[in-house]
Parts: sequence; structure tokens; C-alpha cells
Amino acid sequence: MGNINSKGINQNTYDAIVIGSGISGGWAAKELCEKGLKTLVLERGRNVKHLVDYPTMAKDPWDFPHRNDLTLKMKEDNPIVSKCYAFREDAMHFFVKDKEHPYVQQKPFDWIRGYQVGGKSLIWARQTQRWSKYDFEGPARDGFAVDWPIRYEDIAPWYSHVEKFVGISGNKDGLDTLPDGEFLPPWEMNQAEKMLQKRIMGNYKDRNVIIGRCAHLTQPKEIHLQQNRGKCEARNLCQRGCPFGGYFSSNSSTLPWAAKTGNLTVQPDSVVHSIIYDGKKNKATGVRVIDAHSKKITEYFAKIVFVNAAALNTNLILLNSVSTRFPNGLGNDNGLLGKYVAFQNYRGTLSANIDGFLDSYYYGRRPCAVMMPNFRNVHKQETDFLRGYMVFFSAYRSRGHFAGAEQMGEAFKEAQTQPGNWHVSMMMQGETIPKETNQVSLSKDQKDQWGMPLLSISVDYDDNDEKSLKDFLTQGAEMLEKSGCKNINTNDSKQAPGLDIHEVGGVRMGKDPKTSLLNKWNQLHACPNVFITDGACMTSTGTQNPSITFMALTARAANYAVEELKKGNL
Amino acid sequence: MKRRKALSTMAILIGGAMVSTETFFSSCKSDVKEAVFTKEDISLLDEIGETIIPATASSPGAKAAKIGEFMKVYVTDCYDAASQQTFFEAITRVKNLSEKKYGIGFLNLTIAERRDVLNELGKGKPATVVNKVKPVAGSGDAIQTGKEPQAKSKLKDVPNHYFSMLKELTLLGYFTSEPGATKALRYTQTPGYYKGDVPYVKGDKAWAT
Repeated sequence: MGNINSKGINQNTYDAIVIGSGISGGWAAKELCEKGLKTLVLERGRNVKHLVDYPTMAKDPWDFPHRNDLTLKMKEDNPIVSKCYAFREDAMHFFVKDKEHPYVQQKPFDWIRGYQVGGKSLIWARQTQRWSKYDFEGPARDGFAVDWPIRYEDIAPWYSHVEKFVGISGNKDGLDTLPDGEFLPPWEMNQAEKMLQKRIMGNYKDRNVIIGRCAHLTQPKEIHLQQNRGKCEARNLCQRGCPFGGYFSSNSSTLPWAAKTGNLTVQPDSVVHSIIYDGKKNKATGVRVIDAHSKKITEYFAKIVFVNAAALNTNLILLNSVSTRFPNGLGNDNGLLGKYVAFQNYRGTLSANIDGFLDSYYYGRRPCAVMMPNFRNVHKQETDFLRGYMVFFSAYRSRGHFAGAEQMGEAFKEAQTQPGNWHVSMMMQGETIPKETNQVSLSKDQKDQWGMPLLSISVDYDDNDEKSLKDFLTQGAEMLEKSGCKNINTNDSKQAPGLDIHEVGGVRMGKDPKTSLLNKWNQLHACPNVFITDGACMTSTGTQNPSITFMALTARAANYAVEELKKGNL
Repeated sequence: MKRRKALSTMAILIGGAMVSTETFFSSCKSDVKEAVFTKEDISLLDEIGETIIPATASSPGAKAAKIGEFMKVYVTDCYDAASQQTFFEAITRVKNLSEKKYGIGFLNLTIAERRDVLNELGKGKPATVVNKVKPVAGSGDAIQTGKEPQAKSKLKDVPNHYFSMLKELTLLGYFTSEPGATKALRYTQTPGYYKGDVPYVKGDKAWAT
């Protein structure tokens, strides 16, 4: 390796380095900068400035030449990312194109990525639910993965800490399966959804139907106005970037906030090669960075390193950080780095028709759905599969109604301009069980244009996922039928893992260094000044959307890191 | 492929010869846009669109939405070779049916005659009912974020039937156009808030998005 910048040690030295500027990296930057640490945020992609770099945010449907569809060439060039629901003409510039960043699929895995300042926080689905005590207790109770080293009580104050700043809308539902948070006013259900709520909760005593909780400012508070963020305007065009800062992203919130302290340096176009480990000091001393354009290598130094490169890329960086002390990757004394990767099962969907409510419509576009917290195996094991699933559904009126046999002309046109009957769409978000065989590793012979080994992914469904899927489709159909829905369709998308964009693990937290990589403060057991607080740290997946938990874990770890630094322990 | 060659190949195609377009389109996609569609084609497509979605008292028709131009862009960029071939065959058939039944071109027909020609084009296979009784579920993430299932179009969803294809293109292009979205439907980019229950009176227009 040439071109190492050894004379620049002073100018390239910070108190902290954060690898990645996405949803968790932004939080690490904010907390560390606020506590007075000079912080360098390294981002492999280009810079994206809030508002300035949202080229499509104010466009109307007719401004898109293909009316927001993808061209044949775009689909052919991108067979993987074009499967993603949000990869359309209006937001495709925020997604990694297949050819730019290849990876090895030992088994089919749709790896959806966003390489830019802000990462996937620009294009995330913005649904935010706290984990419950049942989720943290799950692995120990059911005997899979390893026991989480923390419990709900450990993270609850940090959920509050991030929720207040992010701005989460939700209803105080008082459920122990989905604890309430620091909520802004909730979104409303429509009439058909209220009917389903009443009937499902009437028919099933163990099931709850509540409005979704999401990172949207329904009523901005002082802390949000200080971030120059305004009310969510119910556009539901979020993946373009929001002109109002109505939803949370690193770009609109944590990064500018961190910058205001004067302690932040964000450096885009910086591909992290590896973390530098000093065998004499027994700690990491910095990171090795490849300039994305010139390919020149530079070293940066700091007392602590936060790795927030997104779950699988964090695995890649650690696996690539080899030294005499750690020949198999940083902190990888037990050989488990890259293993026990998990995701969430999105395969099941249902749709049905709903009679009535023709005198009711809705106004605006709500950025969330109705939810049912997991009701399977909550208090004890009840089914022939482990764990459970969250259910989401939305009811809506389709456009256009049947105008008889005519397929053209005035009457046909009129029929197409009016709302038709009500329908409901339902989906599952299933917990999957982390397994040693679901893993990522470095390709031995293939490298990318920066000389980094390609990530090789071997992740698959198992029998537990098939059973959970089947149960959801059966229960979903029964709930809709008992609610009076008609023409119920069940569907197994058979989509590959990855398209859920909820991949986690590989660097799991645990109590025992023999069976885990990270301790309860997200420090590598074997290299405590390196913190892993993105999805890679997750011991299990729960049924919740994961990002709010990454944020809470990051804020908790960052504050701990600052305390330990002050004590001289790092 | 040189442009002149492309032009002559397309001329054959538009003339209705059943040649394989596979090699042609895969080798020089960038040439297609200019080569395939003549001004006359655009006019014809405007009138076909207007026959399906006519101007009415309450809103402009498909022609005002420049439906021919939209079809040109969409068919060129988003359709595969087989679907493009079906599309050009549909144009040819409309021309041929007009000549055969009325002895004049489509543009010179009365509205009733135009409908007759398009109905004739639709025979053979049952016409697709636009308001599908079976709703689409859409993908998981889309449901979760409250997006109505405007399914991302897949090539396998492209109707391979002449009339259905023209009709679906007309509906797609019209209702996403400025006149279609703002006059025939109700459109607001920035609603400001969400209300789950507003009174609906029969005849009120649907939301465009």
C-alpha cells in the first residue's frame, strides 16, 4: 500500500472519527460534537446538502418524462435495485446502481444501498417503533442467538432522548408489546380503517390495531424549529428529500446540528479501507481512507472510532481491518464476525375489497399505515414457529369505477375521474432468527475499483420463515374475512432477503466475548475504543422497523464513550 | 446502426411487416426515438387518445395532454422490443381498419366512426376492465409508508392486446398530465395536512395522487 500520508498526522487527527453519515452516523456525530469532541465524519459517497441537492422535491407528476416509471434501460442495468419500491424516476439518484458497486450473491440477496451524505436516511420508510421488553428477552427465552446484554430499561431513556429530537408522531396506546414514546400528535385513521380496527379488536382479544408511528413532524416543537424543520405537509413524496424538513434525515437534522457546534468535519467521497490497529497500544488509532476519485490513500487518526457504515458494509470494513493481532478482522477473536446476519420477512401481503363508506373520502397523503403489534408467541411459545410478525395495513379508495361495457368516450372518462370502492392492503414484517449460516465474508478473488474485496453474501430464509409467512397469510385472511372484507387475496412475493432493507447483525452484542463481538456499550470486546452502533450490532431483529433503535443505541454509546474518554479509559 | 438504416428498418416495421425487432432495439436504442415516430403518428395517437378520453364540459381531453408525445417517449424508453412491436402493429391496424371500413384515414373519420374502428381493434380478446375488481397489494414497504398501490409498472403488465395497450397508455399519460391531474382529477402537491374522513358526494373527483 503506497501513498500513506505519514507527515499529516497532526492535521489529520481528530478526537473522534465516525464512519458513515446515515441515520446512526449522523447521531454519533451530533452527540460527540455536542460534547465537545472534534469529529470527522467520513462518507463514501457524494455530498448531499439539505434542500440544495433535492432536485426533484418540487416536481409534479407531469414533470417526469416517464411519469415516475423506470425506463427499460434503467431496469435492465439495475435488476436488483429496480425491485425496490422507492427506486423510481423521482428518487433513483439517491440509490446505488447495481453496476457501480457489485457484490457476490452466494444466495439471492437484494442489497439496497444509498451512498451519499445522509445515506439511506434520505430514502428510508420512516416508521419508528420502540422495541418492547419481550423483544430484548426473546433470544434468551426461546434459545436462539445469544442473550442481549441490555434490556428495555437500559435503552428506554435513550429512545426518549432521540425521539424528542427526531420528532415522532404516534398515539399513546399503553401497550407493553409496543411501548409508547415521546409522541407528537398521531395521524388519523380513515373510516374503513376504523371499521377494521373495531372489528379485529372485537374478534381477537389478544390483538391491537393502532395508528402507525413515524418520524414526521405533525406539530413541530421548539427543538425542531431550532433545526429549521417545519411541519409535515402530508405530501408523501419523502424519498425525494423534503422541502419542509418534515421528516427526519441526517441531512435535515443531525448533521447541520452537529455542524453548528463548530466541531464537525464531514468528508464525502471517502471510502474507508480499514481501521488502523496499534498492537503496542492495544487500541485502534485511526482509519485508512481511499479517495473515491483519485484513489489516493490517506490516514486519519482519533481516540475513538464509531463504525456506522450500514450493517453489511460495517462488517466489510471490520473484516478488511486485519493486523498481526487480528488476522481475521478487527475484534474477531472468536471467528463470529460476519455471522448471525438476519433481516425481516416481507414476503406476505394480502388485499381485499371493503363494501360501503362511499360517502367518505380522505384529504392529504398520510406517510404511515395502521399497525398491529406482534401478537404471536408474545408471553409464551404458542405456535410451531419462533417469534412473530408486525402487521401493517392501509385502506384506500381506488380511482375509477366500472362504467359498463364502454371502454372509451364521455361516460368512460367520467367513471375514471371518480373514486371507486374501498380496498385494503396488508403486509407482514416478520422476525427472522439469526443463524451462523446466514453470513457475509470477503471475496477471496474479486475486488472493486478501489481495490476493496467484494462482500460475499450468503443469507437465506428457513423453515421458521416459511411457517411464519403461512401463519400471517392465514391469520390475515381470517381477520379480513371476519371483518366483512370480500375478494380476499393472499400473496407470497417470494422476494429475496435484502429487499426489506432491514438487514442487521454480523457484529452482534452479547455478554460473553466468546460468543459475541460487542459488549453492552457497543464496544468491540477486544478493541474497546471502536464502537459499532449501526444495524451490524443487533443480536436479534424484533418485528419493529429498526432505525429508531439504531439511533437510541448510538446516542447511548456516544455518551458513554465521552464519559470513558474523560475518565481516561479509552 | 446508422440512422438511415434505422429509418428504413422502422419504415418496414410501421408498414406492418412482422420482422423481429429484437436485434434492432438492443443494438441502437438511442436511435429509436427519432426514427420511429413521424409527425403523422403523433397526430394519429393524439386522435386515438382523444377518442378514448375526449374533452368534456368539465375537463380537456387526451389531445390537450399531448398524449401522442407522451406515448412516443414512454413506448420508446419503457417498452421492450416485443411490446413495441405490438404497439406499432396497433397503429398499423388502426390505419388499415379505417381504410378498409370507411375508405379514408382515421383522422378524417367522425367520432362515431373512430369509436367503431377502435371497438373493432378491441375484438378478438375481451377488453380489460380498467377498474380491476382484484386490487393489487403492492410491495410491503409501499404499504407501510401509506402509499396507495400504484403498482410500479412491470413489463409483464403491459397489455399485449392492441386496444388495451392504447387505452392503458392513454389513461396513464392523461391522468399524470397537468390537464388530466388538475382538471379531470383533484391534485395538490402539498396538501398541508391529512384528514381521514371528509364527506364525499357522488360525482366529486378523485385525488390524482
